[in-house]
Amino acid sequence: MVKVILRNMWRRKARTFLTVFGIVVGIFALTVLGGLSARLTQQVNGAKSWFTNSISVVPSGGSLFGGENMFFTLDKVDEIQRVPGVKEAVAGIGLFVKDSQNFSFGAPDLIVGLETAGAQDLLKQLNVDEGRSLQSGDKGVVLLGSTLAEKLNGKVGGTVSLRGQEFEVIGILQPTLSAPDTFAFVAYEDALSLFYAANPFIKQTEPIASNVYVTWELGTDPEALAKDIESQVSGVRVISPSEAEKQISQFSLIFNAILFGIAFIALIVGGLSIINTMVMSVSERTREIGLKRAIGAETNTILGEYLLESAMIGFLGGLIGMGLGVLAIFFLNNATSSSNVTVFTVSLTVVIGPVIFATILGTLAGIFPALRAARLKPVESLRED
Amino acid sequence: MSNIVLKGLSKVYAEGETEEVRAVNGIDLEIEKGEFLAIVGPSGSGKSTLLNLVGGLDVPTEGHVLIDGRDTQGLSEKELTRIRREKIGFVFQEFNLLPVLNASENVQLPLRYLKVGTRERERRAAEALELVGLSKRARNRPSQLSGGERQRVAIARALVTGPALVLADEPTGELDTVNTCRIIEVMRKLNDTLNQTFAIVTHDPMVAAYTSRVITLRDGQVESDLAQAAADLHCDDGETI
Ligand SMILES: Nc1ncnc2c1ncn2[C@@H]1O[C@H](COP(=O)(O)OP(=O)(O)O)[C@@H](O)[C@H]1O
Ligand SMILES: [Mg+2]
Repeated sequence: MVKVILRNMWRRKARTFLTVFGIVVGIFALTVLGGLSARLTQQVNGAKSWFTNSISVVPSGGSLFGGENMFFTLDKVDEIQRVPGVKEAVAGIGLFVKDSQNFSFGAPDLIVGLETAGAQDLLKQLNVDEGRSLQSGDKGVVLLGSTLAEKLNGKVGGTVSLRGQEFEVIGILQPTLSAPDTFAFVAYEDALSLFYAANPFIKQTEPIASNVYVTWELGTDPEALAKDIESQVSGVRVISPSEAEKQISQFSLIFNAILFGIAFIALIVGGLSIINTMVMSVSERTREIGLKRAIGAETNTILGEYLLESAMIGFLGGLIGMGLGVLAIFFLNNATSSSNVTVFTVSLTVVIGPVIFATILGTLAGIFPALRAARLKPVESLRED
Repeated sequence: MSNIVLKGLSKVYAEGETEEVRAVNGIDLEIEKGEFLAIVGPSGSGKSTLLNLVGGLDVPTEGHVLIDGRDTQGLSEKELTRIRREKIGFVFQEFNLLPVLNASENVQLPLRYLKVGTRERERRAAEALELVGLSKRARNRPSQLSGGERQRVAIARALVTGPALVLADEPTGELDTVNTCRIIEVMRKLNDTLNQTFAIVTHDPMVAAYTSRVITLRDGQVESDLAQAAADLHCDDGETI
């Protein structure tokens, strides 16, 4: 059966090739973007677990990743600390590792300055691979995320340069495939001086913070606590764990929307071309269909044959497109591996999804032509030439 | 018991808006089970149309076709398909072989629709091809066969299911005398041994002579319907059968 269908497809090699090629292009794009999306989702999930361990308080108008140009004075930290339910309000400063880094894939390379004494709860959630974590009173040292450590060629005991300043590497974190991988944790004071150096026009008399990380007492609802802080402290924006999750999810939502859009275009273009090809095949083979019906083929048999042929076009296109896509991902990942960025992830979904998608697409596109074929009257079809 | 009864059978084609063609015009006929008959007549006299009506490929404008006493009028498309599949073997005027299938696969097609297993299909197709003398060409596609060979494949396809009724539209049109003789010989043998009914449309007086009843059509009507003693077969290679 399949053999005969392949032979039938082979009768019009050029047309079949073009139709399959149309599917290949769509599925190729879908696979590569799927790989991108899978990688992004991985990062987003990691970012979620880091950012949802605490309530983030930023200057009003700021966002989760903070903003270098927005900050507040440290008396706000004390004010937050006094809100009932707050266990620890930790002053932090977030700075991009590179001045010029406006865009990055996934989480940005970030210097995170934390008040070492108060941040022990937060730091405990990071798993140190080599060396040790940041401790109370540390100065001039850095705890590096795994990706950043590779990028800066940092070794425990050695030094790395962050924004022109040398830091001793005291520890390297285990890879998490998520946000902390690209973070450099330093003491608050060190980050502050880097911040002043980067912003020479700011008055350097008053210590400031760009983020305050708030942990909560056992049994306190972080969402309710976030509301309390918002209402009791002025001039701040409070990002509760659930809101942080929403903000981060938006990343992947937008991206998945693009992915969905591409899939949709592939659906329209590929589907129409399959419909066109199959309608042509059916009209070319009208006599043959009539013959089959005349010698006893049921309408359902004819229907099945044409649906299968159409599904086969989709399946082949999907298989080839997916194969090329995975190949492209492999080469692209190889090409970017020197800069320690993994842009694509090949998951089972990335591999199987597009093929199933293309096969279903082919089947659906075949419904109309197959119904046409099945409805042909035997005697009229036999008279066709 | 009658196998096929035609009552007041007519088929009208509305040509354009005004002119209509009465391809078959009020035919009454009875065909007994196990008959071996020829349908003759000038081109356009309605022979093919009649065969299509009898075989349930086409529906009459007026009148009735009864197969084994059962009126085909009002049968659903599905039931007609079933009758074609189980009881009837067609040889079409144009042989209508599928180009992507080889000779054996073409012959197997009706068995496939009868859900016969692969092995049995292959065995019976080989048998049918042997019958028409084409065993050597089983693996050839139609494009690699001559007109006569294709016609014989089409005949093998009609015979392979052992149908109660064989409707053949000019089955020997492309065959030389020797092969015509052999095909008729095969058909007569099947008619003798299995009591299959044969209705053969033909232009060839020799073919008509070998049958035991000749129905002549003119302008969609039966001009004459004569029983005769079928001539003995003397195929060219000297053998008498
Ligand atoms: N589909 C059709 N539409 C119109 N006229 C038809 C059609 N099929 C057959 N005819 C006409 O019906 C008459 C009988 O045709 P046919 O049965 O093919 O004759 P034969 O087989 O005896 O040559 C012819 O005049 C033919 O032109
Ligand atoms: Mg004819």
